[in-house]
Amino acid sequence: MGDLVRHAWLVARKDLQLEFRSRTAITSALVFTALVLVVFEHGRDPTAVSTIDLAPSILWVTFSFAGMLTLNRAFNAELENQALDGLLLAPISRTSLFLGKLVANLAFVAVVQVTGLLLFTLFFNVPVWEVWAPLVTVMILATTGFIAVGTLFSAMVVRTRFAELMLPVLLLPFLLPPLIAAVEVTAKLFAGRPLSEVVGWLRLLAAYDVAFVSLATLLFPATVTE
Amino acid sequence: MTLLRRGRWITAISLLLLGGIYVRALVFTPEERLQGLAQKIYYVHVPSAWSAMLAMGMVGLASILFLFLKDPRYDRFASASAEVGTAFSLVMLTTGPLWARPIWGTWWTWDARLTLTLMMFFMFIGYQVLRGAVADPSLRARYAAVVGICGLVLLPFIHLSVYLFRTLHPMPIVLKPSAPSAPPAMVITLLSSFAVFTLLYVGFVIQRYAIGEHTHDA
Amino acid sequence: MTPDAIPQTGGYMIAAYIIAAVILLGYTVVLWRRGSARTKS
Repeated sequence: MGDLVRHAWLVARKDLQLEFRSRTAITSALVFTALVLVVFEHGRDPTAVSTIDLAPSILWVTFSFAGMLTLNRAFNAELENQALDGLLLAPISRTSLFLGKLVANLAFVAVVQVTGLLLFTLFFNVPVWEVWAPLVTVMILATTGFIAVGTLFSAMVVRTRFAELMLPVLLLPFLLPPLIAAVEVTAKLFAGRPLSEVVGWLRLLAAYDVAFVSLATLLFPATVTE
Repeated sequence: MTLLRRGRWITAISLLLLGGIYVRALVFTPEERLQGLAQKIYYVHVPSAWSAMLAMGMVGLASILFLFLKDPRYDRFASASAEVGTAFSLVMLTTGPLWARPIWGTWWTWDARLTLTLMMFFMFIGYQVLRGAVADPSLRARYAAVVGICGLVLLPFIHLSVYLFRTLHPMPIVLKPSAPSAPPAMVITLLSSFAVFTLLYVGFVIQRYAIGEHTHDA
Repeated sequence: MTPDAIPQTGGYMIAAYIIAAVILLGYTVVLWRRGSARTKS
């Protein structure tokens, strides 16, 4: 068990170091976030649509983009360095390998999402701070689910033709439940609804995470066994 | 009799029976008061949805069996079922909006069932695109199995989340096209149609499997 | 045959039944031809 965690952390750290040295993906994510915020702000009629109505959608468009960007970055790194083949030769279990990648992806997405959220609170007058705890909870729960599936799929997709097209095509149905739940919860939080109304959704998200993190961890070895 | 011929026979018989269903539904089943003739689309739409879901379930099941038992026949079966499922999904996705339009006034809504059917279609397409994009047969089989299993596990979540969404946002639907708890004639037509569509699934899959055997291409 | 009170939605029904038949028969033909091509080779 100790080995599992240690090896996973080594893999994660390698991935994260690679990214923070180049910082390309994180920059484009931030630029996109700012862009989305500006576009939505100018696109609405302030007398007709309140910010609160748009806020959940804006946030989750940005957050899911961050997710897709992360996954792309992850497999582009694989493509360039054929790092996966190298890692497979290392004396670490397949499970550690997968968990390491998952952790790296989650960390990266978290950085982008938190920054996006901060930018959002700066530009929009939405009561984020009163609900920051459940908001962060739903961000973690929703993102973990589809990043787990995305990490699994990107490992496979690297070896296919049309890799960059394949990933979003395969992933689309898997984005649906987490995103629906996430937007619903966020909308209720901003509207000041009682927490009891979001508990059902949060449970659904938790169930989704448990199901797919386990499934992805279990299935990953099948994608790399020779 | 070879597998292919058997499949063809079953398909031919099912198509004949389907013709019978058509006649029964169109001519001999009473018209529904509130929705008019469009309600009869039900007898084709719902069974095709059932066949599509059956196909997806079989893809998932075959995928699990393949990963455990490593027998390429399961992979071949999954591939066959996915293609057949796509055909039924297409029927489902075309007849659905044709029914929705006169009844709900819109071609599409993001309600539980429609969203699920659309996502199923995307999954079938994605599954087959993936298969087409991997050259090595052994790798292809494993990748397809992984996606197949994930897809199967996803279905209940999609249904749950969209259902939850819609129950909390009641749609202003005037008419609710629910299953006819009404005239036995309607129920019989529907159930018979289910049986015929299931048989048609079987016929199609057997043929497609046999074809896959021959080409060794799955 | 159709009393006034019931909405006139027959066109949709016909379209749906035709499209469904076309798809299913079309797929049948596709499978038939692929099957024949295999057994000849």
